[in-house]
Amino acid sequence: MNRAELFAPFINAVKDPDEPVKQWKKEHAGGVIGFLLPDVPEELIHAAGFFPYAITGGNIGPDQVDTHLQTWACSYARSCLANALGGRLDFLDGLIVPQACDTMRMLPGIWEHARHLPYMDNYRLPRQVDRSSAKKYLIAELARLKNGLEQFGGHKINSESLRHSIALYNHNRALFRDIFQIHAQNSSLISSRDLYMVIKGAMVMPRERVNELLKEIAGELKDRLKIESAAKSLRLVLSGTMLEPLEILDFIEEQGGTVVGDDFQNGYRYIEADVPEKSDYLEALADQQLNRIPSAAFDTQKNPRRSFLADLAREKRADGVIFLHMKYCEPENFDYYDNLLAIENIGIPAMRIETQFGASLEQLRTRIHAFMEMIGGKSDD
Amino acid sequence: MTEKNVFKTAGLMKEMMTNYYEKGKEAKRQGIPVAWVTAVFPVEIIYAAGLFPYYPENFGAVAAARKVADKLSAVAETRGYSPDLCGYARCGIGDAYADEHPVGEILPPDLLFCCNTQCGSLPKWFEVAGRFYNAPYFLLDAPQVGFETDELCKEYYVEQLHEMIAYIEKYTGVPFDFEKLSAVLALSNEACRLWNEILDTAALKPAPFGFFDACFHMAPIVTWRGTEEAVNYYRALKEEVEERIEQRIYAIPNERYKIYFDHIPCWPKLRWFSELFASHGALVAVSQYTHSWAYSFDLEHPLESLAESYTHEFVNRCFDHRIERKINFMKKYGIDGFVLFSNHSCKPNAFGLYDKRRLISEKTGLPGVIFEADMSDLRFFSEAQVLAKLEPFFEQLET
Repeated sequence: MNRAELFAPFINAVKDPDEPVKQWKKEHAGGVIGFLLPDVPEELIHAAGFFPYAITGGNIGPDQVDTHLQTWACSYARSCLANALGGRLDFLDGLIVPQACDTMRMLPGIWEHARHLPYMDNYRLPRQVDRSSAKKYLIAELARLKNGLEQFGGHKINSESLRHSIALYNHNRALFRDIFQIHAQNSSLISSRDLYMVIKGAMVMPRERVNELLKEIAGELKDRLKIESAAKSLRLVLSGTMLEPLEILDFIEEQGGTVVGDDFQNGYRYIEADVPEKSDYLEALADQQLNRIPSAAFDTQKNPRRSFLADLAREKRADGVIFLHMKYCEPENFDYYDNLLAIENIGIPAMRIETQFGASLEQLRTRIHAFMEMIGGKSDD
Repeated sequence: MTEKNVFKTAGLMKEMMTNYYEKGKEAKRQGIPVAWVTAVFPVEIIYAAGLFPYYPENFGAVAAARKVADKLSAVAETRGYSPDLCGYARCGIGDAYADEHPVGEILPPDLLFCCNTQCGSLPKWFEVAGRFYNAPYFLLDAPQVGFETDELCKEYYVEQLHEMIAYIEKYTGVPFDFEKLSAVLALSNEACRLWNEILDTAALKPAPFGFFDACFHMAPIVTWRGTEEAVNYYRALKEEVEERIEQRIYAIPNERYKIYFDHIPCWPKLRWFSELFASHGALVAVSQYTHSWAYSFDLEHPLESLAESYTHEFVNRCFDHRIERKINFMKKYGIDGFVLFSNHSCKPNAFGLYDKRRLISEKTGLPGVIFEADMSDLRFFSEAQVLAKLEPFFEQLET
């Protein structure tokens, strides 16, 4: 199979993110619960019999979002709201917003008045994760979320269906980690662009189907791994809340680079932490949340993000680190300087790029090419 | 706030605040641990534990009022901190790195306590400061509360208060004194009661006291809440306000309208705004901001009561609850129109205002307007743009 064949369903899902869900709705006559990133427990939504649909944002377009949300709100929040206002999320029956930052705390009220949905809830994540109170609270919060889904769905989520959904998602994450591994060994088999594109596509596709496809991809790539040798590339670690736009990966690859590690909500952070096997499923979901890799949204004193990033860059033998920041993302910006120092201290060159949904690609290309050239990549001349 | 209109008590406040900063330095000299805290934080526990609470937000407000926020911010910006971050945080981080300290040096913490009821910017700033000063940091986490009393959030917070007390005991080596806490809570209650009685006089028509006066006199309720000094201060202020009512000295000459204002003032332009409103006979009577410190703790259940008060504060409530609270203030104070400040420094208070303006007008029939600026930083302030919003609003009040 060539690239287009292998990745076609994911390429299509990124292009038309509402196609798979509309198809599913036709076949299953079921409800769709949308959610924003990060960290919403899709397993609960799935176990309740709904389609968990990640709202991954998009270009903002001419919708009336400016009359609801300031231009200096992050473009992820703005573009999600713009999609709702523009009627492009009309297939949603419900919405869960994770309260991971101030913008995500304020968005649901605006959304509710502008485009009311029959089910709307917030996932009130604990922001400290190290003390025992966090876990106890989180289990109760998950129970509250579960209860709301049950009420909306009209039936209880039994432990068998929750066990099944957790196993499905754990399997999904394991498959993704396999593919990450293959990419790390030989990025000519699956490029950085394709890797992250597959994740982005998977977020809006039925997970059962995703797993079938990933199994095929992993099988095919593993066969090739045996015969095709890896070309030498410049190894990059990327850090930020969201990897957006994906074209950035093309710009890196054009200059002979490959991404060997990241901490994005729509990247490795999305598939890194499994839900442990435990008889108390809510406790297991809480454990997963509290053990995710660090992000700016949470105070993780036992696993500080700057040390995590420095370790990651070292472990992955990175030639450079790119901080890819969503403009107006406060938590990310507060972390940046100390993260930068941690990377500089281990002698790895780093740069920051601010992006937005709908950012100018040419400017991004120029900046990335310049950085790649500095760390020893191809030259534009 | 014309010259002759300045409160006598203002002199007492200057003295108190000088004293407060002096006490901070003294604490450092005597080895009393300096604990950074946030404005909406159960400081009563810090006082009861014998630590010195320091309010970096107050530092931010002072830097803003003295119009140096841009200078301090610039120092932070050279390190990659964005000018779009909270202005108080930019001032605090900037001052930490700065060689020059135009409003005195921010007091370095021995340990840091933060509650995220107000926003997510404070914990991030405190994390940065904890790393910079190499001091331990403790977050009291307050999940957002909806319309009703939220038992889950309360229980979580109570458990964290226990964790915090154990954390302080470990740090100081001294068992926590609940009797002392009770005494501190009683002092907080008294100061809050007096403060809110003073604020309420803004409902009189004409009123002796308004929002801009409250901005001037609020520092003690934030920084001295839980002490005798705060009680004495507000007792003196209340007496003076009562005298003024008798003597018919009013907050502005010819009060014709009462205005609701949301939320923090634009500190470097405080006088400009107060004169602008006064020139139109409009008394800015009330803001949810200055009403934040309205606690009434139950001494029988101190931790539960602290938990409910500090998590159920308006800034931590859902969208519709916040609309209802604003409308209740408008009714209570007989408001004729409302002004909402889309504060570039404060996302949790600014985001949602566009819809709130429309919804409040629909529900109350009152005219309302939004202007864009920054509470600290004049780089985000344009007099012409603010006037372009406010002048038509004043015209609307006349019709």
